Amino acid sequence: MKLMINEGSAGEKRVALDDLILTKDLPTTAGSKMLDGYVSLFEAEVATRLQKAGYTIGGKANVGEFAIDLLGETSYFGACAKEDGTLVYAANELLEKGEVCAALQMDVNGAPRRAAALAGQYYVKPTYGTVSRFGTIPVACSGETVGVAATTAETCRQVLAAVAGYDEKDGTSLPQSMYTQPKDIKKVAILADITAAADADTQAKVAAFQAFLESKGIACEKVEVECMSAAKTAWNALMAAELCNNVSRYDGVKYGYRTPNYTNIDELYTGSRTEAFGDVLKTMILFGSDVLSTNNYEKMYDKSLRIRRVVAEAFADLFTKYDCVLLPACAKQRYTVEDVKADQYLACQEALFTAPASITGLPAVIAGGVQLVGPAFSESSMLDVAQCYGKEGK
Amino acid sequence: MDKEVLRRLEKENQLQLTDTQKETVLAFLNQQHSQLEKLSAIDTESVERMVHVMPINTVVREDVAMQKFSREDLQKGAPETMDGYWQVPRVVE
Amino acid sequence: MQKYETVIGLEVHVEMATESKIFCSCSAKFGGEQNEHVCPACCGMPGMLPIVNKHAVDLGMTAGMMLNCHINRVTTFDKKSYYYPDLPCSYQTTQWFAPVCVNGTVTIQTANGPKDIRIKQIHMEEDAGKLVHDEWTDTSLVDFNRTSVPLIEIVSQPDLSSAEEVVAYLERLRSLLRFAKVSGCRMEQGSMRCDVNLSVRPVGSTKLGVRTEMKNMNSLSAIVRAIEYETARHIDCIESGSDELVQETRRWDDIKGKSYAMRTKETAGDYRYFPDPNIMPIVIDDEWYDRIKASLPEFPEVKKERYVNELGLTEYDADQLIQSRQMCDCFEEATAQCGRAKEVANWLISDCMKILNKKQMTVDALPISGKALGKLIALVADGKVGSANGRKILAAMFEEDIDPLTYAEQNGLIISNDTDNIKAVVKAVVAADPKSVEDFKSGKEKALMALFGKCMRELKGNCDPQVLRTVLLETING
Repeated sequence: MKLMINEGSAGEKRVALDDLILTKDLPTTAGSKMLDGYVSLFEAEVATRLQKAGYTIGGKANVGEFAIDLLGETSYFGACAKEDGTLVYAANELLEKGEVCAALQMDVNGAPRRAAALAGQYYVKPTYGTVSRFGTIPVACSGETVGVAATTAETCRQVLAAVAGYDEKDGTSLPQSMYTQPKDIKKVAILADITAAADADTQAKVAAFQAFLESKGIACEKVEVECMSAAKTAWNALMAAELCNNVSRYDGVKYGYRTPNYTNIDELYTGSRTEAFGDVLKTMILFGSDVLSTNNYEKMYDKSLRIRRVVAEAFADLFTKYDCVLLPACAKQRYTVEDVKADQYLACQEALFTAPASITGLPAVIAGGVQLVGPAFSESSMLDVAQCYGKEGK
Repeated sequence: MDKEVLRRLEKENQLQLTDTQKETVLAFLNQQHSQLEKLSAIDTESVERMVHVMPINTVVREDVAMQKFSREDLQKGAPETMDGYWQVPRVVE
Repeated sequence: MQKYETVIGLEVHVEMATESKIFCSCSAKFGGEQNEHVCPACCGMPGMLPIVNKHAVDLGMTAGMMLNCHINRVTTFDKKSYYYPDLPCSYQTTQWFAPVCVNGTVTIQTANGPKDIRIKQIHMEEDAGKLVHDEWTDTSLVDFNRTSVPLIEIVSQPDLSSAEEVVAYLERLRSLLRFAKVSGCRMEQGSMRCDVNLSVRPVGSTKLGVRTEMKNMNSLSAIVRAIEYETARHIDCIESGSDELVQETRRWDDIKGKSYAMRTKETAGDYRYFPDPNIMPIVIDDEWYDRIKASLPEFPEVKKERYVNELGLTEYDADQLIQSRQMCDCFEEATAQCGRAKEVANWLISDCMKILNKKQMTVDALPISGKALGKLIALVADGKVGSANGRKILAAMFEEDIDPLTYAEQNGLIISNDTDNIKAVVKAVVAADPKSVEDFKSGKEKALMALFGKCMRELKGNCDPQVLRTVLLETING
């Protein structure tokens, strides 16, 4: 089980970086044979800010190939699993073992949220545009964000504060003047239909968190929002399309893996990509290309962009009555090597729980094995709840 | 979805699948297609597409040239170079 | 009676004259060693994010306004995917859904009179890199210096019907875009390139024939040859009923004088355009729009009319000046300074052009300021500096930014009114050359010129020729 692809410095306040966040001293692989040993000439803005704030880069945490899978199982460097076959996510396992105090993780298709929920840890996926994506390996730029995992909500908050803020090198970075003051959380909507799709153990987690919230005087109400489950299908399509385009740069010409067997340019391209990319990635590339094809663009890609607005408006509507929503982060409480062998595209199903926040760029917080999603800039209020849960909820 | 479409997609993306992979991928694509078809139940006729999730615009920079990276560094990890060029098999037009 | 007519639409790519590239800060200057103007973004490395160069948008709008286009107040960027070694990310960022300009017109003049050519759209995009083919190793070598240099693509409607019209259209585009400083439009450097979409149909038919697209023509004369060849080929195919006429992209080989079907682009397939999530929409507000509108230059023919009617230049001189915006700017500034339009035109057209030619510089690189030129012309006209010395000063102005008067003073080039000195010099010259004096007295006019020249040299040119002539004659005649 390879938790760190490359070990960084020792010392206090070590933070692990998902291996899609570029560093100058350590290679960045995106969990792919294509980028095995690839060293960037510049580092991610979040890495720079982290070190400026006194943290050390503890190393690069193993991730699934381009971070689109369930729990890192598609990594070229191998899946991380316990002896009984339970899948773990490398960054969360490093936290569990106390090797690092926090981890910066790329949230492309919800893997860090899922993993934190399963590990009983905390994770904050910040509002899109508040943490720079400069220097992160691009996968699905319209919705992916750098988030923070830790064993306490307080650490999540501190590390997030160190890396967040406007960055002129990221054209989607929000000017600080746009940030709004979040409201305290007093009323929570539980997404009943999505919760019902999870198994009994997971539903019990939601119920337990509801009980905690109510014990703190926070009102909870069950709501059913039909379009929320459409977020999954739409985000899978948007993500695959952007992924297809973003990984088309890896072609064996400029850097990275090049096949030894070629006589012309097409053999060089096809050989390099076919040999260096894993099966799940290939499938998602082809799916993304299919979605963008002239014949499908309107009914698949354009439709998904419109669904994105439908979902965003449904959230906006909910937030006129509630301060955030509560839902599971995954369908069950344990995933095994066998599960992903049986269905290698399991992550696409699990997106039911994570896609609503991914497709809208809304902030999400994982605590107590469940997920809170709030309006833009509400992560600190949600972290307040998470922190309170950490002290009193268990 | 048929094998012909898949062949085109493979070619377009410079990938070559084995026969077994083709079966798996086709099954996945068909599954996604049927899910995407279900989206038509949601009327989006009057909904504007949402490319960006945040409402900012006109992010531009001033026209100032800077050179921060050397060719040597940029070509350090190159599979093959010659005289400061990246090198590939001859491309015939 | 002509049996067929040719229908031509053009796609013209023009590199915009910015300092830096469109999405990264690398230099956009022409030249440099291979892969010198590159950064991780230009060579397709992950992690850099595109930030749009504002000046590129300025120039895109400028081009649109010069071609009477409607400017889209919200313009966006999209990604176009295909694999080719000169395209480092395997996608090109371009404008597909909302180009910066649409629906323009360009009026051309040919022997048949004026004609309006409609512009469908102008979109901004990044240029690709360059491939060099190495014969020894039988490989292609990739240079990313041009990658991401900002381009506009000007797409015309199929309104052109002959090589003559195409040339007139391209010359008009070049003139307008150079005037507005959008681009140098130098075909030999590839900063202006043209793809020709051509079809042929029987006269009177309203249905378009099979269309072919031709690429790789890098001069106007090559474009003329290519159009003539391709038109003839189409007609041959139509008359012989050949199945060789198909919709395809063809490459023009100017040396062989033939067009060939291109093989690579066949496999390019679907470009799969989609909006770039990393580039926010560009919203052109009234202030921005008005600023660009106010910065537009007069059209060249408007300038010409003004130069002739108001400033009294000849048609010929005005035509010479309006070849270049730099010449016009310098002319107008110099005229404002000294008020002598005709003399300014002469200095620019003859003296300045001579120096530029000698230095192998283009007019666009005219390095002198109009203000300084005006000052110089005033010095000469006022008799403060001799005309030969004036040219010396002009040459110095091409080397460095100098004030003509200061330079003349520092280098002793001011005409002196010191008649005592002139008399002394003349006296010495006359005394030293009694033979010329004799010759002149015996009727040889040439001898006087020799004496005059000697005196002028002694005086370093700083003498009013009239004064010198008078003193010389007085001295000789005693």
